[in-house]
Amino acid sequence: MLRSAFPLVSHLPPRKPPPIRPARPPPVRPYASSAARPSPPPASAYVHLPFCRKRCLYCDFPIVALGSSSSSSPVDGEGNDPRIADYVRLLLREVAATRPVSNDGVPLETVFFGGGTPSLVPPSLVAAVLDALRGKFGLSASPEVSIEMDPGTFDAAKLRELVGLGVNRVSLGVQAFQDDLLRACGRAHGLREVHDAVGIVTACEGLQNWSMDLISSLPHQTEEMWEESLRCTVDARPTHVSVYDLQIEQGTKFGQLYTPGVHPLPSETDSANLYKIASKWLSEAGYNHYEISSYCKTGYECKHNVTYWQNRSFYAFGLGSASYINGVRFSRPRRMKEYADWVQKLEIGAWSHEPDSAGMKDMAMDVVMLSLRTAWGLDLRSFSKSFGKSLTISLCNTFRPFVESGLVIVMDMERRALQPSDFKVDLQYEGEIGSKVAFIRLSDPDGFLLSNELISLAFGVIAP
Amino acid sequence: MATATASRLAVPAQRPSTTATGRRRAAALSPAPVGRPRALSAASRGRVVCPAAPASASASTSDAGQDRLQKVPISNIRNFSIIAHIDHGKSTLADKLLELTGTVQKRDMKEQFLDNMDLERERGITIKLQAARMRYVMNNEPYCLNLIDTPGHVDFSYEVSRSLAACEGALLVVDASQGVEAQTLANVYLALENDLEIIPVLNKIDLPGAEPDRVAQEIEEIIGMDCSNAIRCSAKEGIGITEILDAIVTKIPPPQDTAKSPLRALIFDSYYDPYRGVIVYFRVVDGRIKKGDKICFMASGKEFIADEIGVLSPKQMQVNELYAGEVGYLSASIRSVADARVGDTISHYSKRAERALPGYSEATPMVFCGLFPIDADQFEELREALEKLQLNDAALKFEPESSSAMGFGFRCGFLGLLHMEIVQERLEREYNLNLIITAPSVVYHVNLVDGETVECSNPSLLPEPGKRRSIEEPYVKIEMLTPKEYIGPIMELGQERRGEFKEMNFITENRASVVYELPLAEMVGDFFDQLKSRSKGYASMEYSLIGYRESNLVKLDIQINGDPVEALSTIVHRDKAYSVGRALTQKLKELIPRQMFRVPIQACIGAKVIASEALSAIRKDVLSKCYGGDISRKKKLLKKQAEGKKRMKAIGRVDVPQEAFMAVLKLEKEVL
Repeated sequence: MLRSAFPLVSHLPPRKPPPIRPARPPPVRPYASSAARPSPPPASAYVHLPFCRKRCLYCDFPIVALGSSSSSSPVDGEGNDPRIADYVRLLLREVAATRPVSNDGVPLETVFFGGGTPSLVPPSLVAAVLDALRGKFGLSASPEVSIEMDPGTFDAAKLRELVGLGVNRVSLGVQAFQDDLLRACGRAHGLREVHDAVGIVTACEGLQNWSMDLISSLPHQTEEMWEESLRCTVDARPTHVSVYDLQIEQGTKFGQLYTPGVHPLPSETDSANLYKIASKWLSEAGYNHYEISSYCKTGYECKHNVTYWQNRSFYAFGLGSASYINGVRFSRPRRMKEYADWVQKLEIGAWSHEPDSAGMKDMAMDVVMLSLRTAWGLDLRSFSKSFGKSLTISLCNTFRPFVESGLVIVMDMERRALQPSDFKVDLQYEGEIGSKVAFIRLSDPDGFLLSNELISLAFGVIAP
Repeated sequence: MATATASRLAVPAQRPSTTATGRRRAAALSPAPVGRPRALSAASRGRVVCPAAPASASASTSDAGQDRLQKVPISNIRNFSIIAHIDHGKSTLADKLLELTGTVQKRDMKEQFLDNMDLERERGITIKLQAARMRYVMNNEPYCLNLIDTPGHVDFSYEVSRSLAACEGALLVVDASQGVEAQTLANVYLALENDLEIIPVLNKIDLPGAEPDRVAQEIEEIIGMDCSNAIRCSAKEGIGITEILDAIVTKIPPPQDTAKSPLRALIFDSYYDPYRGVIVYFRVVDGRIKKGDKICFMASGKEFIADEIGVLSPKQMQVNELYAGEVGYLSASIRSVADARVGDTISHYSKRAERALPGYSEATPMVFCGLFPIDADQFEELREALEKLQLNDAALKFEPESSSAMGFGFRCGFLGLLHMEIVQERLEREYNLNLIITAPSVVYHVNLVDGETVECSNPSLLPEPGKRRSIEEPYVKIEMLTPKEYIGPIMELGQERRGEFKEMNFITENRASVVYELPLAEMVGDFFDQLKSRSKGYASMEYSLIGYRESNLVKLDIQINGDPVEALSTIVHRDKAYSVGRALTQKLKELIPRQMFRVPIQACIGAKVIASEALSAIRKDVLSKCYGGDISRKKKLLKKQAEGKKRMKAIGRVDVPQEAFMAVLKLEKEVL
């Protein structure tokens, strides 16, 4: 039987007062060290728990819909579904069969239980996974352990239990504060469950760090509705807010029903406006817009996600999950049967990460794509060191008109914004890159809103 | 040469299956050395002394091919062409003449005929047999009849005139159910200028709708020719063919006997054979030419040894010698048709004629356009392809051109629109090149303030407004023949195209000739298509260049985000500049994807903006979430987006897809 048998790690020391400079990224190794090979071993692990009551209409994720069989208590109900225990068993086999990248025991700094709806998984099974991870890789003294939870899938006791296991960050999938919109999305919960869940999370002792997840540009969503959701969010005082812009994916119900920019979805202009409103309101409420879709109170960045943005390596376990180890990105099979076969291959040693095959161009693209999503931006010196000065200069030249038009911001070593003219001067200077300009980032909100265009321009420079 | 040009360009790949007389087919069927009949050399050798001696009557040999090679006295030679409108039955009649004279077996005819029809119709030009020597016995007297074919398109009127100059007579074939068409008329006038005896033939009398009397009257009225003895025939049914052959013998005068003069032979066609070099088709006007002679081309100044000479009957058949009045071919290891141009005079190197035959003229390109490979890597391939085409097409001119929007390509000159289309099509079909083709331009004469006059065929190279005093453009006189119910729409077309109405005559009760003078630039484009569509296909046209006239022309520039796009510059009449400018800017707005900033799209004359559109900026293009760190899909999307940008051409900071250029260039062809 799977049972939680490890000591609690919930009583972490209270958080240190937030650092003074809010724009600083958390103290982590710069991505550049991972761009230069060999990359440091992973200190993060993503664990996919794919179970949902039903599939939301916009979702194209590898999930397992358990069916709405039960109207029973959120604590047991689906939790007893044998498919969950079976899956966790498989997951544990994958963990067991995974060789740590480093032998000198780099412990995990972050663990992220994503889904799916991880809050449907009984805490005892979550404990077993954490247990396995600790046994295999070790956990640092104060790891960030996040879990995604949906309203209506947990009560106070369940949350307490999870926190007792060491979970110290909750990402609450609220998405909207309007019953009509929740229904239109096919969410398995209503507004009442949202309020209940917020109550449970904010009342939970030992849990200071939680994120409210919202989706903008939903069908029939008006500016007023969006402002209402933001108001409710700010009132709930989460330490973190994720604002996702709805993506219409092929193969989803929404993909059949809607076309981006066409009613009942908001027009492109309206949708951009929702993004701008979020940026404005949340900034005014004291949240830093530290990544395209992430906001946080100072010091409460999601360390796990920051691993991604900084292009550092990470483990991943479970159905359809993507790992990044030794410079290789690998996505596991999205179908349960294939995933199970793959785990078996892994166990008998019939599968291993292919040797590092990602070329420098791909590496440079990853760095640009990920770092430009963040407020910290791209570290030009480090980029130049890894990928060459001429590429860096080409990149800067490509962005120069957008610096002038305000979509791209240049910053000095202290991440203070510089004038476009400084950038021009700096580029003409023959010496080392970044004599004055050290970072470039996309502006908030205009640059972020056009991030695809800007990043694909950079791609064109990297791989002409 | 361009008589051949027309057919050769039009049906490159299919050539082997062209008419019986198709040269490559002939070459393939009977390679020159093998096909030389032994009996022939003996026969002809015996006759060297007396080229004009009567042949040994109707040789009753079973080998039809051989008796055609027998010499007849020059008084028994008849050289003629067939003038006919497309679809009026020229090919069928030619086939029947070949069949009845035993030049080609009936069995072979059918196949050739069928093979050709689609292609002819597709391009509106006749795939010709170039030349055919026939033997016809009348009143026990053997005659040698040489049919010299002509191309059927006005782009090649020079080549038509050279073919006609090689003849003493012509059959004017008119569909008895239709009537005289504009192009036919033009060629009849050319024939009359060359003093040809014209034999009117009313074809298709078997058709229920045939009105030979009406059509005969029409010919009389239009051309002023006595048609009381016009031959009524049905080439298809074989009716009247003998009468035609008899008329050729009795009406068309024989060539002059000038066999003793120094050699002068008129080239009326030439084509490039990859194995043998250029094959030259000629009519011996004076003197004689023998195999192995050292010959010279008087206009090109090139000298060659005539390795092989022969006649077309309709296959190439070698002979040793040809005399004044005869028609034949020669091969002399000539590398390019430019060295043996149509209209040039062949003479002997050592005993050169005093004067070349009249009528030679250099090919003058009338229409220019830029050809750019869509894929920049195909530039060299394009160059090679053009060079290859030029081997066979002396009228094709090209020089490298580069454009910021299009990259590297070539500025090419053509005889006319058909010629241009044929070349473009060949480049794309045969050489697998993907091309961007700029709007065709005519050659302008620009009078500068300093008194100098320069030619300009590339709008982007037009001298600055401050430097020019005036611009002159080529004008054409265009004659359109139409049933009377379409006179209105056709005059509207003339009016729209800046035409000056000259005259209108009812050539019959129901048909009229409408004459306009209009700028050639207005014909470049869809004029012909418009004529056809506005007359439900019934009108026909013919045009000729009548010189240059000053016009109020301006250069219309297109600017995208303030940057001029040279390749889209055009020269237009001031009165049309606004509508053209509006159309172009609107089209570009449709086709250029929105950018991260507002993009003004303007049409300007000099610094003055005359039409303006603007692309609004993209408001949002963001992917919000990297689920579980799985960045691969997002990266794939961004890479795709980057690839899309790469396929575009940068005009300043604006990425413009190639399709936008192509669509606008197409639109330019339509609206200009």
